[in-house]
Order: sequence, then C-alpha cells, then structure tokens
Amino acid sequence: MKVSHSLLSARLGQMDMFNTVPSAILDQLAAQSAILEYEAETVVFRKNEPGHSLYLLLEGGVKVHDEDYTVARLTGGSCFGELALLDEGPRSMSVTTTQPTILAIIERDVFFNVLRNEPEVTRKIVGMLTQRLRYQTDRVVDQLRQREQELTRLVDERTAELMQQKEEAESLRAKAEAEKQEAEYQRHRAEQSEQFEQQFLANMSHEIRTPMNAVMGMTNILLQKNPRDDQRKYLDSIRNSSHALLVILNDILDISKIQAGRMELESTDFSVTQVMEQVMSTLRFRASEKDLAFETRCDPAIPPVLIGDPVRLQQILLNLTGNAVKFTEQGGVGLETRLLASANGTCHLYFEVRDTGIGMTPEQCARAFESFRQAAADTTRKYGGTGLGLSISKQLVELFGGTLAVQSQPGQGSVFSFSIHLKVSAKKSLPKESSLPADIRAGLARLRILVAEDNEYNRVVAVESLQLSLPGVTVVTVENGRAAVEAVQMQSFDLVLMDVNMPEMDGLEATRAIRALPAPLNSLPIIAFTASVTKAEIQRCEIAGMNVCVPKPFKESELLAALHAVANQSASDLKIMAETDEMTEPETVQSSIGLEFLEELTGGNRERIRKYLGLYLTSVQTAIPRIEAALAGNRGDDLRRTVHTLKPQLRMVGLLSAADLATAVETRLLEGAEPASMADETSQLLEQIRQSADIFEDYLRQQA
Amino acid sequence: MENSKKNIFVVDDDNMYATMLADHLEEHGQYAVRTFSTGEDCLNSLGDQPDFIILDYYLDSEVPGAKNGLEILQAIKKADEDIRVIMLSSQEHYGIALQTIAKGAIYYVIKDLHSFKEIDKVLEGM
Repeated sequence: MKVSHSLLSARLGQMDMFNTVPSAILDQLAAQSAILEYEAETVVFRKNEPGHSLYLLLEGGVKVHDEDYTVARLTGGSCFGELALLDEGPRSMSVTTTQPTILAIIERDVFFNVLRNEPEVTRKIVGMLTQRLRYQTDRVVDQLRQREQELTRLVDERTAELMQQKEEAESLRAKAEAEKQEAEYQRHRAEQSEQFEQQFLANMSHEIRTPMNAVMGMTNILLQKNPRDDQRKYLDSIRNSSHALLVILNDILDISKIQAGRMELESTDFSVTQVMEQVMSTLRFRASEKDLAFETRCDPAIPPVLIGDPVRLQQILLNLTGNAVKFTEQGGVGLETRLLASANGTCHLYFEVRDTGIGMTPEQCARAFESFRQAAADTTRKYGGTGLGLSISKQLVELFGGTLAVQSQPGQGSVFSFSIHLKVSAKKSLPKESSLPADIRAGLARLRILVAEDNEYNRVVAVESLQLSLPGVTVVTVENGRAAVEAVQMQSFDLVLMDVNMPEMDGLEATRAIRALPAPLNSLPIIAFTASVTKAEIQRCEIAGMNVCVPKPFKESELLAALHAVANQSASDLKIMAETDEMTEPETVQSSIGLEFLEELTGGNRERIRKYLGLYLTSVQTAIPRIEAALAGNRGDDLRRTVHTLKPQLRMVGLLSAADLATAVETRLLEGAEPASMADETSQLLEQIRQSADIFEDYLRQQA
Repeated sequence: MENSKKNIFVVDDDNMYATMLADHLEEHGQYAVRTFSTGEDCLNSLGDQPDFIILDYYLDSEVPGAKNGLEILQAIKKADEDIRVIMLSSQEHYGIALQTIAKGAIYYVIKDLHSFKEIDKVLEGM
C-alpha cells in the first residue's frame, strides 16, 4: 500500500508529540520525510548504532529488542527512535520488522530545520521527549532492578538448593562415618572380647591349675610318706577326685579352644601302636575292674612312624574307649585300627571303638555329639562326666580331616568309628623314650636348685617332689623374682626353677635381670614353671631368656627331663665352640653363630680371633646397658646409634640374623618409630647378643 | 723399607672394626696404620701426613655430638687437598655416598664382610 506524504502529515498530527504543531509545519515535516517499505524480519537499526532519525510506523509491525530479548512489539501509528532527536547517542535497543512494514523516517537535522522558527513547539517537544527519556530510563532501571531481584532470587534459590545438597551430602558422610565408627567399635569389641576370652581361658587354666597342682602334689607326697591304710584310702580318693576335676577342666578348656577356632594340631613323628598301647594301659585296669573283656587290635601293616598329633589322637581314642568302658556293664570293649590304603607317603587309617554297652536310640545318637549333651539327661548323674567328651572327640576328628560316625541300638552296644589320612614319616622308628637312667639321676641329685614360687603350697610340692625324685638334691626356695635375682648372686646354683607369675617381680623380669648379670651368672639355666601353657606364654618365656618351660601341674618325668636337658645343656651344648687341641675346624658351631669370617680374614690366626672376640665382648658389654637404657628412656637416637655401631660387629662374628635384626631396628628408628614400639625386636636382639656373649666367653675361657 | 710404607689413618669409633681393619692392612706389610676413635683426634694428627684416611661416617657412638665423617672429610680436604679419603659406613645409603664423593672422598665402602677385600682393591688401585 502506498502512503502519501499528506497522509503522513495527518498521522503526525495525531501523535502526542506533534499535536500542538501547526499543520503547515507538519506538512513540511512530512514532505521532507522518507517513506520506506520493509520486508518482514528486516533490521531497521541496531542497538549501539548512532541514532539520528525518528521513525513512524505507518503500516505493519516491529519488535524492539535487545539481542534475543524482545522488549516491545509495536504496530501501526507508533513512533520509535524519537530519542535520537535529542542527541546522536547510540541506540539503546535494536528494532526489526516482524512483517512487511512501512516506516516514515524524519531526520534529526530535517526536524530541527523545519522547527527552527518555532521555539515554543520545539521546547514542548523536547520537554516531552526528555520526559519520555526519563520515563524510559526509569523503566530500564526498574527492569534492571527487577532482573537483579530475579537474579538474586535465582541465586538464593540455587544457593539454598546447593546448601541442601551439601547438607544432605554432609549427613550422608556423617552417617557413613558413624557407621564406620560403629563397625570399627564392633570389630574392636569383638577383638577385645576374643582377647578377654583368651585371657579368661589362660587365667582360668592358671587359677584352677595352680591349686590343683598343690592338691595333687601334696596328695602324692602324703601317699609316699607311708600313710595308714585308712589315710591311704582318703588320699586315693582325693587323688582320684582331683584327677577327675582336672579332666573336666581340660575338657572345658578344650571345647572352648575348639569353639574359638584356636585348637591346632601338632605335626610330630609318632607311632600309632604306642598311642594304642597308651590308651589300653590307661583303661585296662578300669575294664578289668568291671570284668569287661578289653581287646585292642592294631594292623601290623600300618607304617611304624606317622606324622600327626599323637596327644590329640590319644585323646580321641581315650575318650571313645573310656566311654565304652563307662557305659558297658557286661561283655567287652574293643579298640581296633586298620590300614585302609597307603600311597604317596600318606596312609588312610580306620579306627573303631566297639562296646556291648547300653547303646543309644537314633535320636540319642544324633544328640550325643552336641556339647554338654549326653544321650539322656540322667546319664550325667548316673555315669558322671561333663558330657563334652564326645563333642570334643567329634571336633578333634574333624580337625584331623575325618568324620566321627556312630552305629548303635539300645541294649545292643555302640560302634564309634572314624577314618583319617596321616602322612608317613621318613623315619623307620621313633627314638626310644628313655626313663632317666640311675647314673643321670645321681648326677641330677648333685644339683643345687633355686625354686622361685610365690604359692606356698606349690613351693612345698616342688621341693618335696624334687627331694623325693632326686634324693640328696639341694633345693632353696624364694617367694618372688627379686629374691631369686638376689639369691643367685649370694649363693651358687646350678639352675633356677622359676614360676612365671609372681608378685613384686615376675619370672620373666627376674630372668631378664639374671641374664643381665655379669658372667657366669647370666648363663644360669632357668626353667620356667608355668600354669598358663599357651603358645604365646611359652614364647614369652623363651624371649625373656628362659631355657625351657615345664607346665604345671608338672609330671615328675617332665620335670626331670627338663632338669636333665638343661643341666646337660649347661655342661655340653653351651660349649659347642669347643675345639680339639689339634688345629682342626671347630667341631660344631651353633647355627646362628659362626667364626668362618674371622677364620678366613685372619687365615685361622687363633690369637687374632681371640683378640677380636675380646673386642666384641667389650663392645657388647657397653652396648647392652646402653640399649636397655635407651629402651627404658624411650631415647630413639641413643638406641639407633648403639645399634648402628653393633651392626657390622655382629656380622663379623657371624651373628647374621642379629645383624639383620639390628638393621631392621635401625631402619625403623630412622623412619621415626618410637623405641617403645620395637621392644620385642630389641629384646630379641639383646637376647641373641647375650647368648653370643656367653658362648664367646666360654670359648675364650677354654682357649685361655 | 720402613720409609716406603704408606701411612694410613683409620678413623672409626667402632674399636673392633678399626682394630680388625688395621691388623688386616698391616698384615700385608705395605702399610703403617694408625687408628683414631674420633675425627677430631685424626685432624690433630694430620701433620704426620697420612697417604690415606679411611673414615667412618658415623663417629658419635662414643662421644655424642662428635662431628660426623662428612664434616671431618671437609676439614681434612681443607687442611690438605691431596690426602685421599675412603669413606666407611655400615649403611647402604646412596645419598650419603654421593655426598661424601662430592666432598672429595675417593671411595665409599659398606662395612660388611666384603669390606676388607674391597678396601684392599681400592688401595691396590692407587
């Protein structure tokens, strides 16, 4: 559609801005305006372009926009860009047509030229434009303020959202942490309770065994003092009862150990025949008392020496056979073992215990293996026992890798059987277990023995037992470790029998103190006399420097064997460096100690070897107290220095494992470890050094 | 003949090792050996013009706070650049070895069972 300039003039007159402008002037304006037709989507002007014209929208439509953000849509009759009349500043918005559009354009110069003689009109128009500008500025400010508020709101919302997420994450983390702590705590509690349990078992074994030892020992002593017949009867009864009590105690300890998964089988050479004989000799008397036939049959094809745990195997067989004797009133009991197969150094053995006793119903059979259960509730009253025997046997058989089975009918007797695989030893026979010959006993009887034991009864038992077994033996007793350490310095002893748990100074500490005394006192043989017989306890004794452990209640044979071993050791083993007069190699050298290097270095020069060993001894005599002091005072640097200097010396005298230990300690100290955290390693090191010192001292004495 | 013997100082607070090393070196006949248990003693005797000094790295086991081998090495080198120093240590520590070589030691020997033979070889090579 064509728009004429006269129409434009009329349109201008309708606009607020121009409604006071005389029509002649409007006509002039219209005549000097350009009228242009635009396609749709055509840019009229862009934001930031300098503006110098006023636009009048005659037909069509435009959008006023800032980039993609449309501020307004205008249609016919509107005017835009009018602020360009005020100055040539940049456009604040872009304008684009939205449809085919016709625009009238009035240039600023034209406008002011036309109105140059109409100051009133000009002022009015400029006033109006100024107002519009202010209004527009206000609107922009408002919009800005709104957008700012909007942004603030968005930021606040987003922040709140993030905060919430953070809080959730925090709480999740806290929860996980709490769960972890809880798990840690539970684990700690479980460990602690396991420790408590182990401690409890050790204590229980100690607390019960100690008085039991006293009761049994005293009874044995009284029995050997020619009691009257009636007294003998009572004493026998005490002995039997305490023995029964010990059996129950051992049962309870065994089952606890098994249930805690701490029962471990030994692997030693043993003879099945000997185990069978032992079972038979233990039960034969009881069987014959009840007039029962008692047969044992051992397959001669079974290899003479097997590898396994004879004590536990005997326990199983003794238990099953003991039950058989117990529950059989007439007929007999049979114990039989057969070789099922043998191949590749392993043999498959079958054991069977058969009786003609009361038998069990299938239900009773099923229950029989449960802990604390016997076939019938009244069985315990009638036959005694803890009811643990079968359960222990069953679980021990399982530890051996077998299954304990039972076939039984009430009144028809029972057959308990199991089969296990055992390794065959390379040995063809076991060394003969010799009871000590008379000459050795006589030798032992010349010993001067110090007994350190806090329990008065046990002290008496130990003394009387020693005096009965070894007539003429010298025994001195003390009540605690401190007294023992003093006694060995005041009086000469051949060995010490040391209780581990004593008040004031315990056996371990006393042993360490004795080992720290000057030679030859430091090499005094010490036998640990302990009621706790756990592996850890035995190890503690060994680390402290005790030579051998004898469990309480002790058997005379065990005690004598230990005495013999230790006394023997003091007389020969500790002199392993002994050398014949001819210039030959030293006979045997204890595995961890060797003079090979010194021999090689000196070309076998005895004098120089002696000199170096002397220097070594001098060095360790200062090093040992230094290490002890550093350890006691937790002074890492002192410890490190001393250990460092010792290291090459230990190598020179062949103490390679001690040198490695020293290296390990030094390395850990260099890494910043506390000396206290290495007490075990350090005491092991000290122990090895002390032992070596003893041996070298002996060597030097012999050479002198 | 006595004059043709090389002078060797052995500086080690480990009396046993020092004695063994001295005996070992003297046994071969070409060396006159003196032992010192501290580096300071050795420094005081530098006037006797040792040809070699065999110097332990840690020297403070008897005298806490005694200067260590590295400090003594530097003092020796400051006093007489020509004295050849073999470092000894009972520790296989690359950093220390490097430091002593950097400060002028000609060799670094670990005090183990092979050390005597190793020192023989180093001295023979001189």
